[in-house]
Amino acid sequence: MGTMAARWAKRRHKLVPYVFIAPNVVLFTAFSFLPLLYAVYISFFDWSLIGDAEWLGVGNYTRLMRDPLFWRALVNTLLYALATVPTGMAIGLALALALNRKLPGRTFIRSIYFLPVVVSAVATGTIAAWLFNDNYGVINSILVRLGGSRVAWLSTPQWALPSIAIATLWVRSGFNMVVYLAALQSIPRIYYEAARIDGASATRQFLHVTLPLLGPATFLLLVLDIIHSFQVFDLIYVMTGGGPGFSTTMVVQYIYKSAFVTSEMGYASAMGVALYVLILAFTIVQWRASRQKENVL
Amino acid sequence: MTGRIDLTTDIGTLGRRTLLGAAAATALTRPTRAQAKTQLTMTVWGAQAEQDAFNAIIAKYQAAHPDVAIKLEVFGNGMQLYQQVDTRLAGRQAPDIFRVQYQQIGRYASARAVADMSKFIDKDYGSAFGPAFWNAVSYKGRPYAIPHHTDTFALYYNRDMLAKIGVEAPSSLEKSWSWEEFIRIARAMKEKGGAPYGFAMSWQNAAYRWLPFLYQHGGTLLNADLTRAVLANQAGVGTIGWTQSWFKEGLVPPSTSIKSSEQPQALFANGTIGLLLAGDWQIPFLNGNMTKWGWGVTYMPRDVAMASDLGGNCLTVSRDAKNPEIAADVVKFFCNEENMRDFVVNAQFLPVRKALMAEKLPYKLRPDAMQVFVEQSATIPDHLVSTVTMPNFSKINAVLTDQFDLAFTSGQDPAATAKAIDEQTQALLA
Repeated sequence: MGTMAARWAKRRHKLVPYVFIAPNVVLFTAFSFLPLLYAVYISFFDWSLIGDAEWLGVGNYTRLMRDPLFWRALVNTLLYALATVPTGMAIGLALALALNRKLPGRTFIRSIYFLPVVVSAVATGTIAAWLFNDNYGVINSILVRLGGSRVAWLSTPQWALPSIAIATLWVRSGFNMVVYLAALQSIPRIYYEAARIDGASATRQFLHVTLPLLGPATFLLLVLDIIHSFQVFDLIYVMTGGGPGFSTTMVVQYIYKSAFVTSEMGYASAMGVALYVLILAFTIVQWRASRQKENVL
Repeated sequence: MTGRIDLTTDIGTLGRRTLLGAAAATALTRPTRAQAKTQLTMTVWGAQAEQDAFNAIIAKYQAAHPDVAIKLEVFGNGMQLYQQVDTRLAGRQAPDIFRVQYQQIGRYASARAVADMSKFIDKDYGSAFGPAFWNAVSYKGRPYAIPHHTDTFALYYNRDMLAKIGVEAPSSLEKSWSWEEFIRIARAMKEKGGAPYGFAMSWQNAAYRWLPFLYQHGGTLLNADLTRAVLANQAGVGTIGWTQSWFKEGLVPPSTSIKSSEQPQALFANGTIGLLLAGDWQIPFLNGNMTKWGWGVTYMPRDVAMASDLGGNCLTVSRDAKNPEIAADVVKFFCNEENMRDFVVNAQFLPVRKALMAEKLPYKLRPDAMQVFVEQSATIPDHLVSTVTMPNFSKINAVLTDQFDLAFTSGQDPAATAKAIDEQTQALLA
């Protein structure tokens, strides 16, 4: 009896973590993993969602390789990532550094920066579309009052992507700030004291103490922000609908259009799978690079 | 696939039976429990006036049929509804009844996603409707929906601005402005009328609304038997060039191209534009929001021909309807003469029954303006109706959306635009 009880106690000890992760595993399997496998399956079909599916083999993938709009959307997505990820992280870090000291109303200011993260992207997109509106937007009104002229922010190919990038920075910087704030607060003060005793200036302390110790947070944000920028949809859907022309058509925009506007669910799934592989490849490369860096350190 | 879907249905029924006991058992048509109500879901989109009109007719049906309960689901716009309905059709959980544009019904009919209505109507039932609308809901000779109403485009004008430039609006269809006169007046609106821009066209996310201009200029998108794309000719390239010139010359706000999310009716109400090409359903909005200026409605501009847009919707029964006979009865009730009259009069639409089309209806708001739309609706070309109701028109519309937006916002050459549309449309027709 005694051994059985001990064995059960040991087994229970092993089981507990699984019980804790079970809800997440079940939800992830039901709503992410199985649909993902199903998407791979339907990417081999011509399926309109409402009619019968027709087997195409790799037809959707060969079409993808030759579709200039898919490549255009991919280039747009990369440009968007380049424009928003480093800048968003830099702004987030600057805000975190500024708000990591004692300031009156610090919590209130932090909340203001974080607010767009918790508000629905459709709501922030609508607000951004109003701010940037050519005819009655606040930004153009300010420009005119300052003696400038109106800019067709969302209606010209050269300004539409920058406008969306600015709106994204407004939304994402708050998230980056919170992650950096948490990381900053976990750096032990003694490192700074030691650096000061050794005569390090504030700049040197930042470059040689703060930045290296923010490494894991930077890596996390880099991965999350790149994934986020590859998956951008709602903000663009609301602000420009992928236009003018194709200037703000991103991969997810094109997936949505294929799935629900032209009813090509198979082709949309093939693009979804391609995007999945791309994000996975990016993440693996970054993960390896980060591990190598840690080993060097 | 069928196996999976049947399984879902069974689980759903069992779950309800367990939870709701006797009520759900009746849904399994047990004669001893026949007292419980038949539940139907009806899915639509629409502004408040339309929702009120739908609810009023539902209340009337329920009063006459106490054993039927109809739940109205409302979406913001047609696009949202199609996305929802398509997904639910894939899961065999579509609403019993839904609202569809004439441009989309062919897609559902060709996929057999909606019920063949001929089972529920008399042989000559369709002859009471305008032939264009009955053809629009028919696929391979069988109706898959019942026409509910139509709407069309005309030209709204800012009455004060038009008076300021000393121009009078045409008083009859025959006197409608030519393309040249229209452009001259739009320029005057901008230069002397006090509007930053002359006009705007309400075609955001609805590229097919460009087609009336093509027909006005003597062109068509497809040949007579709808087998070949024929835009790359003088009429097609000329029409693209003309509509592109609106943007090039700055007569329309740059934000009013096809892919934009701009609301031209708001620009008209706040005086940014002096003229607005839009449909009759904007009357309630302008009535409530255009407070600084007076406004009126006149006819679409014309070139070698007159033409306007085919708008409006039909009602259909989905293949997932558990009681298709009752659902079809509700649809027929909505589309009978009395209820069609009530709906169009209260929600500002045009009827599609011949008897009502000939009648002068007592519209709730601006009957003077509605009269212009009634007259204008006679100019919708039959060939345009056949084109936009083809089963794969939504794909052709996506091609038009992409190419017109490139022409209007990125300066793509009209000839290149017409050629690209022809090539891509031809691939879809093959």
